[in-house]
Amino acid sequence: MVWGTIIAAYLFLAGLSAGAFLTSSYISRKYPKAVTVRMTGRFISPILMGIGLLLLIVDAEAGLKNPLRFIYLFTNFNSVMTIGTYFISFFMLAAFYVALMELLKKDVNKWVEYIGIVFAIGTAIYTGFLIGVIATVPLWNTAILPILFVVSALSTGIAGTLLVSGIVNKQVVHQVISVKKIHLSLLAVEVLLIFTMFLITSTSNEAAAESVSSLVSGEYSMIFWIALIAVGLFLPIVIESLELINDRKMSQTNVGLQVAAAGSHSIAGTLVTETSVLIGGFTLRFLVLAAAVPIAFL
Amino acid sequence: MARYGMMIDTRKCVGCYACRVSCQMQNELPVEVSFIKFHEIETGVFPNVKNEIIPVQCQHCEDAPCESVCPTKATYTTEDGIVLVDPEKCIGCKYCMVACPYQARTQDHLTGVVEKCRFCVDLVAEGKQPACVSTCISTARIFGDLDDPNSEISKAIIKYNAKPLRQDLGKTKIYYVR
Repeated sequence: MVWGTIIAAYLFLAGLSAGAFLTSSYISRKYPKAVTVRMTGRFISPILMGIGLLLLIVDAEAGLKNPLRFIYLFTNFNSVMTIGTYFISFFMLAAFYVALMELLKKDVNKWVEYIGIVFAIGTAIYTGFLIGVIATVPLWNTAILPILFVVSALSTGIAGTLLVSGIVNKQVVHQVISVKKIHLSLLAVEVLLIFTMFLITSTSNEAAAESVSSLVSGEYSMIFWIALIAVGLFLPIVIESLELINDRKMSQTNVGLQVAAAGSHSIAGTLVTETSVLIGGFTLRFLVLAAAVPIAFL
Repeated sequence: MARYGMMIDTRKCVGCYACRVSCQMQNELPVEVSFIKFHEIETGVFPNVKNEIIPVQCQHCEDAPCESVCPTKATYTTEDGIVLVDPEKCIGCKYCMVACPYQARTQDHLTGVVEKCRFCVDLVAEGKQPACVSTCISTARIFGDLDDPNSEISKAIIKYNAKPLRQDLGKTKIYYVR
């Protein structure tokens, strides 16, 4: 494994950060009153991206020892990593500006936010392109992988934002019910994408088949079935569905509306769901890197 | 300008590792780091079996994948077709190691720089042969200009019908007789 846990964490944090930024932009328009959720998304976004970049720097040993070399990262436009460096730089600047304005309680310039949205999407999809263009590893070299990473980025972004918001103020979680619906659909799409990717990729060649079988039934099968499928996808899909059904019931009765308004309901479901989505998001990145089998050249 | 390449006759290779040791000495590598890796493969069913020892190092690809993915342009190709790493530019991101179809790259754990076979550019500039070629006990390795039809290597490639390891993975400059 040339790229291990540190890079998996970086890919996860970059997606999470971009997803949190997009979530907060959506919330700010759809639910102008959900201030806590919006602020949370805007604050965690640049912080998580920053942590991700620090991990990346630590992993790039030669650069860590000679930091000025990182400037060269902007030079090779044939490299997806160079393109990604630009995306992340612009995204970081926009995310940092938006967080700063939020902190100073000033209005966010909407054009800077739009630029942030564009580069947030760019950052999320870049994490998939980065490994997707590696022809040597058939598991990665598929068109569906970047899409899977974007869907997972959005899903972890929502999870991270709601988790932190829920801890800060538990009333807010039920203010943003459409986000929960989007979240549920993203998780369902993720299951579909993983299934499609594995089914198609495993038939493309021997190395790919080896990768897929190491995940489904081999070396990584425990992590795959328990951490990714059961905890990361199945559990949140079930709880989120129950929550949505429950929420509908609550909004139909007076007692329910009072409970929701008072914020006296439990948010345990939300905390469990969002935490398990985050576990699943990291596990997905880790497994995709770990199960990489290069084409046999002999 | 030349286009340097190598031919390795695996039928002559006895697997003595002399090339690897001389490479390590020439490039001042630690004992556990080497630019040449040995692969042994058995083919066929008894009694018709064949055992091959295949030394693999950087294949000096044309349009090298490691060069195009390198974000800092630390990996580059010289005018003579030799793929090199500028240790002053490498940040150690290991993208090239991931992209190399031959897993021919290793990371120097002291500096963090990613390294690989350099076709002994310094020796070649002095008109000498790369260390692995001059040390080979069975003359399994031939080095020279692929663009010169009269060079020893060009003639040998035609004579023995030498081929790259995997033509479908892109054009390379190391040819194998198997």
